[in-house]
Amino acid sequence: MNLEESKSIVHACISEITDGEVNPTDDMNLIGKEASLDSMKLVELCLALEDKAGDLDFEFDWTSEAAMSRSQSLFRTVNSLAEEFHAQSQSKE
Amino acid sequence: MILITGASRGLGRAIAERFVERGEEVLGISRETQGLPFEAVACDVSDHNAVKTIAQGLRKQKKEITGVINAAGIASMNLAVTTPAGMTQKLIQTNLVGTIHSCQLFAPLMMRRKAGSIINFSTIAVALGLKGESIYAASKAGVEGFSRAFAREMADFDIRVNCIAPGPIKTDLLKGVSGEQIEAIVSQQVIPKVFQPGDVCDLCEFLLCPQSKSVSGQILHVGGA
Repeated sequence: MNLEESKSIVHACISEITDGEVNPTDDMNLIGKEASLDSMKLVELCLALEDKAGDLDFEFDWTSEAAMSRSQSLFRTVNSLAEEFHAQSQSKE
Repeated sequence: MILITGASRGLGRAIAERFVERGEEVLGISRETQGLPFEAVACDVSDHNAVKTIAQGLRKQKKEITGVINAAGIASMNLAVTTPAGMTQKLIQTNLVGTIHSCQLFAPLMMRRKAGSIINFSTIAVALGLKGESIYAASKAGVEGFSRAFAREMADFDIRVNCIAPGPIKTDLLKGVSGEQIEAIVSQQVIPKVFQPGDVCDLCEFLLCPQSKSVSGQILHVGGA
């Protein structure tokens, strides 16, 4: 899986959990004042990505110290989350 | 499937056996698993990675978790000034941090389905401020505070979180406590009697069943406080 495919998965998951009400972009903020998802939707997004990772035969760990501390937070933007999802898929290969 | 920590002895064991009798699929989680009459996995709940490994395994197996009962805990009756630092750490790590680990790692298994019930264990020592139980009570007061806030976080996912706070219950753990000490505690309860493990099992059954759908974020004192 390449980075673009990871981004597509994150975008699809966001659309899915918001019933299409949020149109995701790469630089969309996931945390902070400008966040487009509330904290509960963010958790739902992580659960959805965990399931997608399972389908792709790798573990997406969104709670590890390493993932959380990497470049501040994997949740900064859609792009940073996609990058982390991609990185974790590569590390399992 | 119902997950029960501390299932090898005391209340955890009694609760696990009750749900097995009721025909429920139970997974016991405890440090000792040998000889248990139900499926069990060895784990120290104060070890985050160990709990995480169990949660990941259950997710891969696509197990439908309907309830989590956090009965794992240790007690130490001592004045605060005579409690060794290591024991203080152990009490907080097992009773409070272990409960947090279990909740944060097992709750997502129920959040997907938007259904479930979590029961944590406190003690009547918190409400009564019992002498000689200050550090134990502190660890359990943490469990109560965590449970009340966690209940609000889980409400959006239709998961209920409650605490059972027993007084003296007739289990092996009570063997080292004198009759006078037990009486002194029991006399402060609203219903001044020593309750049985089965009474706590009844409460667990209630909190896991649909009839308790309106109950969340509550501390239920066995015998009343």
